[in-house]
Amino acid sequence: MDSRPGYHRGLGGGGNNLSYGGSASNSPALTGGQARRRKQPPRPADFKLQVIIIGSRGVGKTSLMERFTDDTFCEACKSTVGVDFKIKTVDLRGKKIRLQIWDTAGQERFNSITSAYYRSAKGIILVYDLTKKETFDDLPKWMKMIDKYASEDAELLLVGNKLDCEIDREITRQQGEKFAQQITGMRFCEASAKDNFNVDEIFLKLVDDILKKMPLDMMRSGLSNSVLSLQPEPEVPPELPPPRPPVRCC
Amino acid sequence: MEETLVSADGKNLRAVLCQRCGCRVLSVGTATLAKRELLLPSMKKKSSLADESNPDCELLVEHWLVHDMFTFENVGFTKDVGNVKFLVCADCEVGPIGWHSLEEKNNFYVAIQRVRHE
Repeated sequence: MDSRPGYHRGLGGGGNNLSYGGSASNSPALTGGQARRRKQPPRPADFKLQVIIIGSRGVGKTSLMERFTDDTFCEACKSTVGVDFKIKTVDLRGKKIRLQIWDTAGQERFNSITSAYYRSAKGIILVYDLTKKETFDDLPKWMKMIDKYASEDAELLLVGNKLDCEIDREITRQQGEKFAQQITGMRFCEASAKDNFNVDEIFLKLVDDILKKMPLDMMRSGLSNSVLSLQPEPEVPPELPPPRPPVRCC
Repeated sequence: MEETLVSADGKNLRAVLCQRCGCRVLSVGTATLAKRELLLPSMKKKSSLADESNPDCELLVEHWLVHDMFTFENVGFTKDVGNVKFLVCADCEVGPIGWHSLEEKNNFYVAIQRVRHE
């Protein structure tokens, strides 16, 4: 009973082996009541990955996390306490992957996000608002944080958000592409969390890139119940980052 | 509680889903029935979770308990409210559907009344 018909929208023909975990991963054998009651050992996750979403204030980080899946968003039902992180399940290449996704909204000062956030992240989604030049101009400062704290093999994805506001665009796609090209291994795309355009693709692509780099028997027991506590970092001098080391592959 | 929900060894016989959007929270056989009195803010209206004096809470007793957060298929954790994180639906964020105390690192409760079963 997949009650989220919008899930596979936009994955197109190219992504035929990508499907969202959750309810979409039910095998046909499980649809009958009898089959459901058959004794089956629960299938543990094959991989556990931590993904963080960073970027300047107002670029839509939280919307990206929400829109990763939801097509029936209802503001009135939301609790007033914000969501800290989410566990999401993705099925990719026959593997079941648990993502722990951290949204850093509210901690946009570059130096206020604790290094622990970055250190354990296998994937980092850096977001800017393509209608606000200042959020694009902030990217070098975010890169500085990544260079300083993140694991060198973390997959990086640059996202120009708010593609639905084409009229107000201040940053061209080429500018975004150019920025990403300067950084070894960084992917780039534009997206609209509002229209859910490219959002699920972003996460699946990132996970796919992470998996490609990973020995298959790794990460099965990497993370456990880690609720990071976020402490302010000491002041970081505002200078440009050194170029990322060339050893980063693909 | 319906008998069909729980197996002889106390596990969930049916998958646990969000009441509202059907998002899968727990797969079959991954959680254990646990009885414990936990106070969860109301789900019916936009109540202020941060306001501890808010009387609009509900005492819930029957829960699905898991010991590893990566047992969840999909779930959201709220920011800290005191030493508690509430669990919400990962997709539509309806909730709270569950409770986690930072003092009990390995206990995650999902209130049976606040979810539906496949």
